Amino acid sequence: MRLKSRNRTVTALLLIAPFVICYLVVFAYPVYKMFAMSFTNAPLIGEGEWIGLDNYIRMFEHKLFYTSVYNTLYFVLLTVVPNTLIGLGIAMMVVRLKGWIQAGILVLFFMPYILPVTVVTQIWQWVLDQQFGVAQPLIEAIIGRRISVFRDPVWAMPMVALVTIWWTNGFNVLLFISALRNIPDDYYEAASLDGASRLQQFRRITWPLLWPVTALVLTLQLILQLKIFDQIYLMTQGGPFNSTYVLLQLVYREAFGRNQGGYASAVAVALFVIIVAVSVLQYQLLKARGK
Amino acid sequence: MGRISPSNILLLIFTLIAACAWAFPLYWAIVTSLKPEPEVVGSLSFWPQTFDISSYAFALFDTNLVRWYINSIGTSVLITGIVIMISMMCGYALSQLVFPGRRVLFLVVLASFMVPSQALVVSQFVLMHKFGMVNTWGGIILPQVIIPVVVIVYKQFFDSVPRELREAAKLDGCGEFQILFKLYLPLNWGITAALSIITFIMSWNNFLWPFLVTTSEEMMTVTVGITQVGDSFGVQYARDMAVAVMAAMPVAVAYLVFQRRVTQAIMLSSGIKG
Amino acid sequence: MKHFIKAGLSAAILIGGSAIASAQTQITWWDFLEGGDGVRMKALIKEFNETHPDINISSTTLEWGVPFYTKVQTATAVGQQPDIMTYHLSRFPLAVPQGQLRPISDDELAEAGLSPDDYFPSSFNAAKVGDQLYGLPFDIHSIVLYYNKDALDKAGLLGEDGKPKGLDGLENFNAALAKLEESGVEVPLSLHTDEGGSMWRVFYTLLAQQGAPFIEDGEILPGDAGLKALNAMTNWVASGYSPELISYEASIALFTSGRAAMHINGVWEVPTMKDLAKNGDLGFEWGAIQIPVLMDQKATWADSHAFAIPHSEANPISAEKVKTVLQIIAWMNEHSLSWADAGHIPAFKAVAESDEFKKMEPNATYSALAETAVFDPEISIAGVAGPIYEATQNFIVPALNGQLDPEDALDMVRDELQGLELN
Repeated sequence: MRLKSRNRTVTALLLIAPFVICYLVVFAYPVYKMFAMSFTNAPLIGEGEWIGLDNYIRMFEHKLFYTSVYNTLYFVLLTVVPNTLIGLGIAMMVVRLKGWIQAGILVLFFMPYILPVTVVTQIWQWVLDQQFGVAQPLIEAIIGRRISVFRDPVWAMPMVALVTIWWTNGFNVLLFISALRNIPDDYYEAASLDGASRLQQFRRITWPLLWPVTALVLTLQLILQLKIFDQIYLMTQGGPFNSTYVLLQLVYREAFGRNQGGYASAVAVALFVIIVAVSVLQYQLLKARGK
Repeated sequence: MGRISPSNILLLIFTLIAACAWAFPLYWAIVTSLKPEPEVVGSLSFWPQTFDISSYAFALFDTNLVRWYINSIGTSVLITGIVIMISMMCGYALSQLVFPGRRVLFLVVLASFMVPSQALVVSQFVLMHKFGMVNTWGGIILPQVIIPVVVIVYKQFFDSVPRELREAAKLDGCGEFQILFKLYLPLNWGITAALSIITFIMSWNNFLWPFLVTTSEEMMTVTVGITQVGDSFGVQYARDMAVAVMAAMPVAVAYLVFQRRVTQAIMLSSGIKG
Repeated sequence: MKHFIKAGLSAAILIGGSAIASAQTQITWWDFLEGGDGVRMKALIKEFNETHPDINISSTTLEWGVPFYTKVQTATAVGQQPDIMTYHLSRFPLAVPQGQLRPISDDELAEAGLSPDDYFPSSFNAAKVGDQLYGLPFDIHSIVLYYNKDALDKAGLLGEDGKPKGLDGLENFNAALAKLEESGVEVPLSLHTDEGGSMWRVFYTLLAQQGAPFIEDGEILPGDAGLKALNAMTNWVASGYSPELISYEASIALFTSGRAAMHINGVWEVPTMKDLAKNGDLGFEWGAIQIPVLMDQKATWADSHAFAIPHSEANPISAEKVKTVLQIIAWMNEHSLSWADAGHIPAFKAVAESDEFKKMEPNATYSALAETAVFDPEISIAGVAGPIYEATQNFIVPALNGQLDPEDALDMVRDELQGLELN
């Protein structure tokens, strides 16, 4: 019997070994290394000397760091809730359709999600081109003039957010559709027999039953959008005058552009801490709300 | 609900317009790519007056697109294979076996949900350099193989496989590996397909990591190459769009073919959340 | 058996053949040259490869500016750098202290058949830090004023010689812009107003025309010369002479489509104008002159494209390859006449002083600018994609587009750079 249980342990270890080894090497070690580097003045490649908290002190004196934190949060604000609501709205429209019409329309809404980010940004830069963009006549009609959207400090971040929503929304739509399908039809039938209006049905039935998925979507979005880099790097490069500079971009610039591995790691630690803190906080909030 | 009432028709029309507006940028990219260059910056027309596919010839023959395809397909397939394999085995062990440290492992994997891998790019880059893997497929692949959520998903699916099946297999003298690959895996093909599709799309579309770890044009993936390499022919909108369309093509076609599977995949994984 | 031998033989030949092929020296080349520059550089590389069967250059063009220099920085750190690359001379003071460039010794230079006397002293010396040479200049490039002869003529601003008149002095220049506007020109002066690099060139020119330094005794932008320069630019946008936040492509398109009467841009856009005019797509007669004296004295910003060898601690280049690279650089310099066709002034004396170049238009019209050219300050915060460029992008560009107060903007530039300079 003891032999058998030892055998079983060995089998289990064999099964988990590949994952655990990879995990330790490319995940756990880099986490450790990130913290370790943040206390040194190391360049990107090569050893540095221990300098204690100097990088953190420098970070908290670095104006661009605060700008980046602010912009990252601003971007999160602009994307998370709108993206969730738009996803829900589209899902509620699509779920009422049937058969191939539904499938076809879903394809149109979902297609952007499977595109590489570079394709998405290329397309939108062309659509919004200040001189030849197809969207400019529309902007001119509403605002009264053409706008170089990614070069305007007021417009840049909301436009990056818009592009992001367009790109990632399909995923949320699908999650909501599957949740909506899980709500039994008889709930609605019973409600309409009771004379409940569509709005009442939504508030009393759909919304409460949808809450777990909404919470999931919000959580996923929040964590995803805090890690914003690609769209910014490809469309605004952080400009104009740093009005779209974000945290991950600061990590990138310090490490790869300025060869400051240690300082970049300190900023990465800050990003790391913010995301972990937000995740924990949100998890607690949603749990409370869910009850 | 299925009956045709005026309000339903109104809803259908509204949805249709919204969907077309949503997809319009895609349409516009394709139309642009099919126009000759002067027409692109000439008048605004929603259909090409003359069709010109020379931009596509350019994308295929005058850029490194084919090479980037190979890199993208190669690395994405390998990432998907590795992720599925190691996560499935780990998920199985967590679900079905008793071993020391099981609870700790489970909690660690669960906690890793919160770890933003993007924050690790600097230290991962340093690590890949130590391995001599910067600018190689290995360097692109390795940091992408840990996706904790896949382990958890497998664990939850394996948890719901009836105990009796497992006992029966044991009586037949099957070992754990056999039980996993002959019983649990076939029972969960759906989730395996789903997770594979999602992982594949994720790695195909990944920009940041391949962007950092490739230093030469030949090693870039499609996602990286199309914007980071100058074509030395100035700004040419039709060409840009043709390259973009070509870059999106493989995954877009795969999606259209496996459309049902992809949507199911995402819906399935949504049913799983803790 | 016979077959077997035959097969073996042919295999041996195949292997031998490929051995010969691999004896060819492979040279990796990175540049950031797009547009007309890119076309001409690609042609030069092709010609080199065809005339040198023992060497094969494979070139990659990466995005100009920050993306290019970031990639170089990363690649040298990990030892994956190219063998040769184009590099802005203005960036040498930034790159050399970081050890990114491989020094070139006098012997290596001599072996390639090159000597310091082959180059104009100003650019050759800019390729040195201390006494050590770190690269070789290829050209001198600057900004010029492109003008639409027809539009200027209509506004009475064209002299007998077909060149603009009455543009010297800021007041006269502004009056000319007003005249152009009155004469019905939509955009009197097209500027690439949305990007720091382009605006730095204009700003620095206006600064240099006042004889003012960017940095003196460790002080950034001393005095009010900076404000004067920035106010002049801000005024163009505020008065509606130059549209705000125009992208690079659009700033050119405004001029080439005839909507703008004048355009300030690098000499590298000369081929664009030439090609359009040749195909009859330009619709007007164009010219290019040295930037008029808007302030007190002649001066124009200038920079050089240089060739450099990236240095990597992890994977230093072999002496053999250095020899090949210098051979390539020498060849490129000797053949830089076609590069001059892209508007640049060759850095290689033999070409710059040749009759062919002297006859080349419009280069001949503006090549005198080289005499009063002012290069970026030789400090580690200068240079393409360096902190000064970044600060220009972040503060000067918004100021001239009316998004920031000019005085505040310059204070921000000082704040941003002062600390860095001390580091």
